[in-house]
Amino acid sequence: MHTFARRAGFAGVVLLLLVIGAFPALAQKDTLILAVGGENTEGYDPLLGWGNYGNPLFHSTLFKRDATLNIVPDLATKRQLSADKKVWTITIRDDVQFSDGTPLTAEDVAFTYNKGLEAGGKIDLSPLVKAEATDSRTVKLHLSQPDITFVQHLVTLGIVPRTQYGPAYGRNPVGSGPYKLVRWDEGQQLVVEANERYYGHKPQIKKLVFLFADEDAALAAARAGQVDVLGVPSNLAAQDIGGMRLHVVKSVDNRGLMFPVVPDEGRTTPSGAPIGNDVTADIAIRKAVNYALDRQALVAGVLDGFGRPAYGVVDDLPWDNPAVRFADNDPEKARAILEAAGWKDTDGDGIREKNGRKAEFTIIYNAKDSLRQGLALAASDMLRPVGIHAVPKGENWDRIKTRLTHSQVVVYGFGDHSPLEMYKLYHTPGPDPMYWNAGFYSNPVVDSHLENARSAESFEASIPHWQKAQWDGTTGFTVPGDAAWAWMVNLDHTYFVNKCLDVGTSQMEPHGHGWPITANIVEWTWTCD
Amino acid sequence: MRLSADDKPAEEPEPLRRSVLSSAAGRLARFAAAKAVRLALLLVSVATLSFVLVSFSPVDPIDAYLGPSILKVSPEQREVIAQRWGLDQPPVERFTRWAANLLQGDFGTSTIFNEPVLTVIVKRFTTSFWLMFAAWTVSGVLGFTLGLLAGAYPASPLDKTISFYAYLMASTPTFWVGMVLLTFFSVHLGWTPVHGAWPAGMAAHDVSLMQRIHHLILPAVTLSLIGVAQIALHTREKTIDVMRSEHALFAMAQGERPLAIVFCRTLRNVALPAVTLQFASLGELFGGAVLAEQVFAYPGLGKATVEAGFRGDVPLLLGLVIFSTVFVFTGNTVADLLYMIVDPRMRRNARKGDR
Repeated sequence: MHTFARRAGFAGVVLLLLVIGAFPALAQKDTLILAVGGENTEGYDPLLGWGNYGNPLFHSTLFKRDATLNIVPDLATKRQLSADKKVWTITIRDDVQFSDGTPLTAEDVAFTYNKGLEAGGKIDLSPLVKAEATDSRTVKLHLSQPDITFVQHLVTLGIVPRTQYGPAYGRNPVGSGPYKLVRWDEGQQLVVEANERYYGHKPQIKKLVFLFADEDAALAAARAGQVDVLGVPSNLAAQDIGGMRLHVVKSVDNRGLMFPVVPDEGRTTPSGAPIGNDVTADIAIRKAVNYALDRQALVAGVLDGFGRPAYGVVDDLPWDNPAVRFADNDPEKARAILEAAGWKDTDGDGIREKNGRKAEFTIIYNAKDSLRQGLALAASDMLRPVGIHAVPKGENWDRIKTRLTHSQVVVYGFGDHSPLEMYKLYHTPGPDPMYWNAGFYSNPVVDSHLENARSAESFEASIPHWQKAQWDGTTGFTVPGDAAWAWMVNLDHTYFVNKCLDVGTSQMEPHGHGWPITANIVEWTWTCD
Repeated sequence: MRLSADDKPAEEPEPLRRSVLSSAAGRLARFAAAKAVRLALLLVSVATLSFVLVSFSPVDPIDAYLGPSILKVSPEQREVIAQRWGLDQPPVERFTRWAANLLQGDFGTSTIFNEPVLTVIVKRFTTSFWLMFAAWTVSGVLGFTLGLLAGAYPASPLDKTISFYAYLMASTPTFWVGMVLLTFFSVHLGWTPVHGAWPAGMAAHDVSLMQRIHHLILPAVTLSLIGVAQIALHTREKTIDVMRSEHALFAMAQGERPLAIVFCRTLRNVALPAVTLQFASLGELFGGAVLAEQVFAYPGLGKATVEAGFRGDVPLLLGLVIFSTVFVFTGNTVADLLYMIVDPRMRRNARKGDR
């Protein structure tokens, strides 16, 4: 009996060792394993939206943004806007090949833009009418109206080869970017290798493996030493993972309170959602909220220090207006503003009233998002001492978007590398309101600044107009002006990076998906042996 | 009388055999036809019901598809997307078109994978199959054995241990067991991988059988640990019942040991509910796989189902519903067929045409 047990035990151990031994270590220096989320289940097709936040990795774009977000040439050597500001003439390099060896010509660029118009993906190329290649190196993009924000497409839309493009392209993308896709095991991993035909700076890291796992599994893999770059939400950043260091990247991924700025007059949207809120329609309430919030405390308390206060929607971007900064955490000022506007606590319950209406509103947040919940709760606490009763309430995201957003204060997150977002958030909305400018903010002066910015003759020339829309000295949508929103924080994006990996200086990251950390991947170096 | 009786014997065997044969074939044909009609009715109702349910879903497929890109897209572009997916048609029109395509074997195109639904299902099912198969076999065999043992010695320490374990597992959520195992074996001990169906960075065709098994162990164990419970508990009950029956008592009186009685004299009786349960559990296996695959990031059918639901991929969701209906239905049919083999009474009843 004893010998049998011993033999069985021995056999078990041997079997176990065999199984474990079959799993070799993966420590090759030129291969990096990244768990930064972002599997594009529909494939890596730029025309369906791959890379619309920049850096398509497998593709190159006409222009790109450098570390400080300036627009610099990539595929293109120069761009020129016609006198009527409706035709872009773009000259491209003549030494570029796709990873399969076919040369990249202006025909491919024109094909990409024309096809992108009709592909029905996540990119919206309007106001483009058509693209035409006038010779092998020149392409003309015809717009229906002047729009400088079209530049964003020049920076983000990856060029596809016209001879290879088809329905299955997303699973076998051939491009001219620094890397090429080798294999994609859906739901599991994506393997890419350096593209030896890449015309730019050749990356030192020859092979990348992107792991697709949810938060817990990715963290577990990193703890087990199987991951070199791990993206984590900031509430998981305050820990030690053996062999890795924390890499914190600034972002314009912001969170703020959207106020309905029109009173409730019984109006509804075409789909029946109520419009307006009598309390937040009062500018005094909106300003008081902005001054009463202690943004530094929100960063420290809710973001664990991984972030910075937000005063506008475009903080620290090239088109940000620094004049809109103000001193917050000022309950005295908030109280004074409310008193002056006639909001007084007459019944002694700690909540102010005006004309029989209490200074009361609900702060709605996506119930699945613990960060937004934390912000809503903390903001509510900060408003109580000035006499504003803000009730935090978690809701289903779909209900927020379809039913609540036009009549309630909602915690939203925005932040993009294109000022077009600012336009959409603050320009007077059309008849069918969308998710942006849900509060029906409207100011004709702001509208005209925003329109002037869009129709500027160059991106540089548009910047002063964008800044004036925020605050032009007399009006604007930021706190000195109409205080249409109360922006609270800009998040930091947090990564754990192998101690042996130098990831250089990361670009300020936008809100959204994709792999923003890989923007400068050609500069990454392995520093150990 | 005698004369006719004398006449007959010479001829009798032929027509008798023929009638037995033809009646066997007829029975099988009747069985198949009845099943086919039921399957058809089931599929029609499941498809209709799912379509109605899905059309009431609060998830807007275009919003879900766009995600944060929603801000980059104008109403005009949304219409282009709706056209690509046929969402610009009214629901009834969509349903009839979908059903007509389905009859021709076209399940449509998955919106989130941008691939034919059937391709997605086949791809994912091949990964899931081994996980489900391993879990199903292990939990069946192990559960049945444990149930027999517990039933053979009711109220003994062995029975108490097995019952305790079974009750514990029957009331434990799959994903939780998965997390505990993952934390202990993969993170703490580092014995098993945390992620995927094979090692990171390797190509599918380079992966050895050992590596696949290595990645399969933990999810399969998770599913088996849970799956054992049901079947063990039912088998235990049935075994105790049968042990009280007259033929078991008689054997006992003759001095046979309980284990011998269980294995030699009651196996057939006990096997019936076990077989039912084992094949009926295919549905649960599907559900369990959804959770286990989610925890272990195992890229199978379960994970695809979750994504399709969350992201409003109607064609894929409906395809999966149809697929799982057929899958579970097949399981039940196999159980019906096995009954006839295991239980002679059912064979006899079927012959009489009672069923």
